[in-house]
Amino acid sequence: MRSKWRSLSLQGKISGIYILANIIILIVNIILLIGINSMTDEIDMVYQENLHLNALSDALTDVQDNMTAYLSVKTTDALEEYYRSDQIYRDMIQELHDEVTGRSFDRMERNIKKMSYKYLDAVSQTIEAKRGRNVEKYRIRYENATQLYQYITTYINSLNNEQFKRNTLNCTELLRAFRFFETISIVIMFVVIVGNVAVIIKLAGNIISPLKRLAGQADEVARGNFDIELVPADTQDEIGIVTGAFNQMVTSIRKYIERIRQSMEVERALKEKELMMEAHLKDAQLKYLQAQINPHFLFNTLNAGAQLAMMEGADRTYRYVQNMAEFFRYNVKKGEENVTIRDELELVDNYIYILNVRFSGDIHFEKKVDKSLLHVQMPSMILQPIVENCVNHGIREMAGEGTIRLSVYRIDDVACISIKDNGIGMSQETIDKVMSGTYREEELAAGSNGIGMDNVIGRLKLFTESEDVMSIISEGKNKGTEVIIYLQIKEREDEDV
Amino acid sequence: MEQKQRKKNSFTTMVIVTLLLVVITAIGGIVVFRLYMGSLKDIEDRAQYDRYYAMIVNNRKDTFWQAVYQGAYETGLSENIYVELLGDNLSDNYSREDLMRIAISSGVDGIIVTADDSEELSGLIDEATREGIPVVTLYGDNPRSTRCSFVGIGSYNLGREYGRQVLQIASRKKNLKVAVLVSASAQDSAQNILCSGIQETLDMEKDSEMQIEMTLVSVDNTNTFAVEESIRDIFMEEELPDIIICLNELTTTCVYQAVVDYNKVGTVNILGYYDSDTILKGIDRNVIYATVSVDTMQMGQYCVDALSEYHALGYTSQYFTADITLISRRNVSHYLQKEEDDEK
Repeated sequence: MRSKWRSLSLQGKISGIYILANIIILIVNIILLIGINSMTDEIDMVYQENLHLNALSDALTDVQDNMTAYLSVKTTDALEEYYRSDQIYRDMIQELHDEVTGRSFDRMERNIKKMSYKYLDAVSQTIEAKRGRNVEKYRIRYENATQLYQYITTYINSLNNEQFKRNTLNCTELLRAFRFFETISIVIMFVVIVGNVAVIIKLAGNIISPLKRLAGQADEVARGNFDIELVPADTQDEIGIVTGAFNQMVTSIRKYIERIRQSMEVERALKEKELMMEAHLKDAQLKYLQAQINPHFLFNTLNAGAQLAMMEGADRTYRYVQNMAEFFRYNVKKGEENVTIRDELELVDNYIYILNVRFSGDIHFEKKVDKSLLHVQMPSMILQPIVENCVNHGIREMAGEGTIRLSVYRIDDVACISIKDNGIGMSQETIDKVMSGTYREEELAAGSNGIGMDNVIGRLKLFTESEDVMSIISEGKNKGTEVIIYLQIKEREDEDV
Repeated sequence: MEQKQRKKNSFTTMVIVTLLLVVITAIGGIVVFRLYMGSLKDIEDRAQYDRYYAMIVNNRKDTFWQAVYQGAYETGLSENIYVELLGDNLSDNYSREDLMRIAISSGVDGIIVTADDSEELSGLIDEATREGIPVVTLYGDNPRSTRCSFVGIGSYNLGREYGRQVLQIASRKKNLKVAVLVSASAQDSAQNILCSGIQETLDMEKDSEMQIEMTLVSVDNTNTFAVEESIRDIFMEEELPDIIICLNELTTTCVYQAVVDYNKVGTVNILGYYDSDTILKGIDRNVIYATVSVDTMQMGQYCVDALSEYHALGYTSQYFTADITLISRRNVSHYLQKEEDDEK
């Protein structure tokens, strides 16, 4: 039954509740009506006996009247009337009690019955006498009958009266019982209504409660919380269907979100991998370059060469080899730490010396240094690659004497290192490319120590934690190039001076 | 889930309880109502009786007759006979003769009637006998009729008792006037026997110096209120009797009241009849000198016994005499006590 109820539609359920409530009230009403009906019957019956007695009395009077009529007019009609009334009266008294009981009514009825038979006998005898024209006899018998008639009438009246008294009492009692029943009825109706209301509230609640739960969960979902408990759809009505659909929807959304999350994770992992690969590549390149240089071996060898030159008395060779050894030692030593401008300038000196030996003094190197800035910290291997660039790209390809001017000066808190050549210059396009790090020169050309401009700029940026670390100025073709490095002077360094 | 099941169960229980309550209340209400109606009807005694005797007395309201009837009724019940005091619930106040006719026409199994010597009654008794209905005369007799038996008090003995009381009073006062209140209808032979009983006792037992003068004063009892008026008439006369002997309950009560009203307490001695409440109080207050108590229960019993015996055997004893007891100041407290106990 419960499953049947569950499978009902919403309309069916609501209709069911109304029908149930109405049926209960109908049943109660029928029961009460039956009760009231039986009581009304009972009340109707109360005076039944009186009515019967009245009829009896009338029938008796009929007999008496018809006899009298016959006696006075002696018509056949009167005789027939008499016979008819005699029969009616006989039938009626037939039904009377004739037992002697403790009830006075029963005894009176018995007496009435007995006397009536006597009376009817007396009447018929009177009639007989009248028909026989026995005047004397029928007079006496008439008087006799009349006397009996009076007795019976008195008895009937008395009985009627007594019964009326008792019936009135009964009636009062009945009415009181009726009132009582009325009160009971009201109480019953009240109980039924209360029960009905309770049942309706309960059933309506049963119908609405899944809807409420659904609404609560939907609200949760609307606030973005998909991690909700699913509403159980245990009915098959519209609410059940909606609940099912809602559950389906929430589940689908959850799955979808999960899928997106997973794919995003995969993507992220891929990107990470890519980055790692790039880093490793860089690392490999570096290792490769370092391996190529193998500086310890180189500068030990160079030292041996320098000592050899000194022993042979070749001073210039000794100085050259010594400078080269210095240059490479610097590379090995300072490659990974911060240095001062002084160190960097020394390296540049070494480098220029080496180049001038190589290129037989083609490069004029002029230095103009604010000595107070020599101790300013900076990353290693910055100036040498720049100078190298000036030599390789600026001077080597030009005709005439190449000059490199290096100046260190101060603008407010910034130490500026300017390296200026008088070489072929750079186009603005090339400058922009170099500055943005996209210029991938046919780098690592022979003779370079392997450190490109993008590396220089990147390290400077990292060191100064600022974007504005370098500017390249070239006024055009064959008008030279100036590279200026800006280093923030830290206070401590100021104080040291 | 379990909780949900329990909730549903409690819900079903609620519906069932509501329905049950309704049905039980409704059915209970109807059943109670039916029972109530049944109890209304069954208050009366519906037992059936084998025989039906009619008792006809002159004055049904008299406590004396009521007591006699009670005796007859109770005896009847024990033999499964219903004795009815005829005319009690009729709207017309029928005479004894009418009631006799009704009883005969109703075909009762026996008639108990307070009779006198009248011819009409004799005729009716004879008619009843012809119809096969035995008749017992009660208190007064109708010896000329075919009545089967007579139940009365020993009138002669009663007369002697009255006589002795008169002599007792006479022992204090030598000259006495005694008035016996007799009913005007002189056909009552019992009354005559009683008077002669008094007379004889006085004649035989009085001292020589006692002057006792006994007169019969007739009291008109032909209509309803005549008795009281006749008694008042006696008190209007100049010379009052010293002793008034009353031969029934009604006259005793009337005389008692008249003595009090006319302030003759002490001058007029009353010899009463029957032991009704009022009369006993009269003795207690020293207004009534003495009264006789008739064993009314016994009287009633004798009537029924006589009729039953007649039915059984076809004949019965001609005379039954009920016991009488004298009540005076000496033993009145005992009777008063008894009354109180009865009332309780």
